[in-house]
Amino acid sequence: MVERTPIFNAVCQIVLFIGLLTVLLPFLIVVIAATHDIRTVNTVPMPLVPGSDLFANLHEAWIRADLGRKLLNSFLFAGTVAAGKVLLSSMAAFAIVYFRFPGRMLMFWLIFITLMLPLEVRIVPTYAVAANALAPFQAILDVTGISWLIRNVSGLQVKLEWGLLNSYTGLILPLVATATGTFLYRQFYLTVPDELAEAAKMDGSGAVRFFVDILFPLSKPNMIALFTIMFVWSWNQYLWPLLITTDPNFGIAVTQLKHLIPSEFGLPDWNVAMAGTLIIMAPPLIVVILMQRWFVRGLISTEK
Amino acid sequence: MNAKLIGAVGTFAVAALLAGPAAADKTKIDFWFGNSGDIAKRVQEQCERFNASQADYEVVCTSQGSYDASLQNTIAAFRAGQQPTIAQVSDAGTLDIMLSGAYYPANKLMTDMGYTVDWKDYFSGIANYYATSKGEMYSFPFNSSTALLYWNKDAFAKIGKDHAPATWEEAAADFKALKAAGYACPLGFNISRDEVWQLGEQFLAVHGEPIATRKNGYEGLDAELSFNKGKWVQFVRDLKGWYDNGEAVIKSKETGQTFIEAFANGDCQVILTSVGDHGNIGRTAKEGLNWDVAMLPVYEGTDRKSSFVGGASLWVLTGKSDAEYKGAAAFFDFIAKPEEALTWSTVTGYIPVRNSGFEYLNQQGFYKEAPYKGRELAIQSLTASPAEDPAPQGIRLGGLLQIRQEISNGLQAIFIKNEDVQASLDTAADRGNQILRKFEQTYAGKTLP
Amino acid sequence: MEKRATFSSTTIGLLFALPMLVLIFVFFYWPSGQALYWAFTLEQPWGGGNTWVGLQNFRQLLSDPYYWGAISRSMVFGLGSTSIAMGVALLLALFTDREMRGHKAYRSVFIWPYAIAAPALGLAFRFILAPEAGFLSLINQIWPGLWNPALDGTDAMIAVIIAFSWKYVGYNFIFFLSALQSIPRSLIEAAAMDGSGPMRRMWDIQLPLLTPTLFFLLVINITESFQDSFGIVDIMTQGGPARATELMVYKIYFDGFKGLDYSGAAAQSIILMGLVVLLTIVQFRFVERRVHYK
Repeated sequence: MVERTPIFNAVCQIVLFIGLLTVLLPFLIVVIAATHDIRTVNTVPMPLVPGSDLFANLHEAWIRADLGRKLLNSFLFAGTVAAGKVLLSSMAAFAIVYFRFPGRMLMFWLIFITLMLPLEVRIVPTYAVAANALAPFQAILDVTGISWLIRNVSGLQVKLEWGLLNSYTGLILPLVATATGTFLYRQFYLTVPDELAEAAKMDGSGAVRFFVDILFPLSKPNMIALFTIMFVWSWNQYLWPLLITTDPNFGIAVTQLKHLIPSEFGLPDWNVAMAGTLIIMAPPLIVVILMQRWFVRGLISTEK
Repeated sequence: MNAKLIGAVGTFAVAALLAGPAAADKTKIDFWFGNSGDIAKRVQEQCERFNASQADYEVVCTSQGSYDASLQNTIAAFRAGQQPTIAQVSDAGTLDIMLSGAYYPANKLMTDMGYTVDWKDYFSGIANYYATSKGEMYSFPFNSSTALLYWNKDAFAKIGKDHAPATWEEAAADFKALKAAGYACPLGFNISRDEVWQLGEQFLAVHGEPIATRKNGYEGLDAELSFNKGKWVQFVRDLKGWYDNGEAVIKSKETGQTFIEAFANGDCQVILTSVGDHGNIGRTAKEGLNWDVAMLPVYEGTDRKSSFVGGASLWVLTGKSDAEYKGAAAFFDFIAKPEEALTWSTVTGYIPVRNSGFEYLNQQGFYKEAPYKGRELAIQSLTASPAEDPAPQGIRLGGLLQIRQEISNGLQAIFIKNEDVQASLDTAADRGNQILRKFEQTYAGKTLP
Repeated sequence: MEKRATFSSTTIGLLFALPMLVLIFVFFYWPSGQALYWAFTLEQPWGGGNTWVGLQNFRQLLSDPYYWGAISRSMVFGLGSTSIAMGVALLLALFTDREMRGHKAYRSVFIWPYAIAAPALGLAFRFILAPEAGFLSLINQIWPGLWNPALDGTDAMIAVIIAFSWKYVGYNFIFFLSALQSIPRSLIEAAAMDGSGPMRRMWDIQLPLLTPTLFFLLVINITESFQDSFGIVDIMTQGGPARATELMVYKIYFDGFKGLDYSGAAAQSIILMGLVVLLTIVQFRFVERRVHYK
């Protein structure tokens, strides 16, 4: 666009540059802390001239936290959670926005309320559910008398069991069950012109066709934004993975990071902790950078 | 006839687990603990030494990141029937588990599994902190520490002294002299929740004053806080006086530097902290820092009593198989060996918990030379009064962590908002008592073992 | 908000929503229901049983002046951090979208804050904000005693608001930018041809088209400020000094998670939840009316 607004441009550049500095400062501190030895990192104030121990610290952090295996697990875990969220929330929001059936608004609020009570508050009962994910159904069968009925009719004792402890499923499913994505997709669907759905109906294509062929491509920027955010969010999840995986084979990177953070009476080796942070922080940053490419206009279909 | 519906993925996960290392003949036991960072690494090493030492058991040690998370996760797992065999519980969670009935008492376990343990071998101060009112040990002291006074010898030399203050009166004079000699921070301290134990609980312990009635709660859940009635009020007043004169300075991570870092850096000349920090300070101290430790001072005319032990102990949980309990007993037997005590105390700052361990360390000359010299004072401090002394040797209060938070809030009101000392401590005690009453009501009908 | 064109098949609609509904039933409502039951009992943490006490937990909380203090502090925190995080992110997104020199770098760097792990954030901010040793100690060299979050409650509150906003700027930025990027370029070019300057275009075209996203972020930011502040408070101030940063959610985690007072924490979560639901309903009723959907 050829346009001359030099003063406004200058203001923009200055604001953006200040923003850049503010954003980068904490990262710089982490990087610099990772280059010091233990004594230097604990002096106050910590010198801002980088030290020479970066590779030693990275190596120590990598070995101590067994990061090779854990990073792989983290990728699997965060990728699946993010993909699951995108898929399930786009579907749920579709049902809420594009259908007209009783209890539709109740459904929206049922999903929406899950935003209000964080996992930590309900962690003890959630763990019990993860130990047997079918327990709620068992309880329902018991309370409603259905299990009693089955036992009397067929002689079978109904015992539903599906243990999720120390499994990828157990890591992933509870984290998919929240509402952020559904809400985002609802907002997006509401901005999609009504004419599109009308045209689709006129063509005689059903709801599924419309969802797959029209809405899905349209929602790409949304999808990528949500995937990115959710990938980063699940990558940094700590409490749930720590609780549900005691088998190191299923451990993820961030819980290892917590093990690197010095404890109260431990050696304050913040240099190694920060080196570990650098390694563990890198994948979400790379994902963010890669996903950014998809935001560039032109890759997005804008023919509306 | 069981019609089990097992989900495909769940089965897959179980299969993956079983397909792991083929150590079918070894009994696996889980051990969850809360330490992180360097200490977690040391615990892991200890587990590996145990696994290498015999062929029957394999202990799988998992750090849960912190004491709080470890306790919470153990509880969640216990309630779901998936608990580890051994769990570490810190001093603040001791009463909850003691009332839960969720454990296999340590003394019973060892007897049942055919080990004879000389329970008298444990230092009385340590044993009593975790024992019942009848003196039975329900858990094994694991990582144990107590508070010491750390002092900068060079700074004290400047004011013509070659020893640490033994009384608070002497300390007050020293702080004044240090201030006059140009030191900006004679005493570094903090009043956050995690740092009030050395100022409060330990002070009361060495002065033989109760923190609560009913022998600090050992004799019943109806104990009431009484820390706002004795010498401690005077101490808080004195501390506030030093603070107002600039002789005592609050150093925390919020101000930029904890008092431990400030001491290691030579900025503060006296601090009170755990013997567990002895190793850290040695490793992070500024080049040439000339420092030593001493027992906590007492007020003149006070008959010094034992200080309290800090740290955590190991509990064995119910609902496990006999084989697993055998493994747990073998593990406890292993970590009680004097050689293990030596390794443990060398790599961490924690102290040996048994007389035999201490003597072994002494024989090896552990306490004679530089990095470890001075740590024996922790044992001295813990055993200052005889075992049969009637003064309480620990704290048995519910919601101890929340009570510490109330004490911390009270101190913050005094030091930061300049509120009245007595009134603020009274408020803290009142609010603490509400926590105790709620706890009592929660465990209505249960009696302390 | 209603769509004119909808599909009629209830079965297909339900099928679309079913996976999500099953998941939230098993992993949210079932366990939450159990947790909320504790609010009316005194629950023994190790599962040894409980006593029904009715509303006792609530009565105790609501008669405690310190608890009301935590409620009002949470409000201040929520409003402060939401307006900073959203305002700054919106500004940065609008300016980045102008695709001036360096916009590619800005586009990715502004999201980074959301990617940083909490402990690293805590350490970094400790270094920046500490009154004796951090960057802000410069202020104290010019005006001694002006900045001291360790001892001054207001400063501590400002510090946690800054740290929280810093993280959420990245979050908001990514959604603002994705929304801006899906506005057809032709629309803006047409306006430019009509002679309206860049500020005018932002105000007249881009902002109105952003309102669905703005509304989404407003709701999310406010709920998150009530939920997600625990980590930052725990790392930076532990609720101090003298309760100045004791937010509702911090008290919940502390009492329940660390203090093992499950019932007290459950009662507090009900109050917090009620408050957030109330706020959300208000937003849906009054704010969403102003949102421009196409």
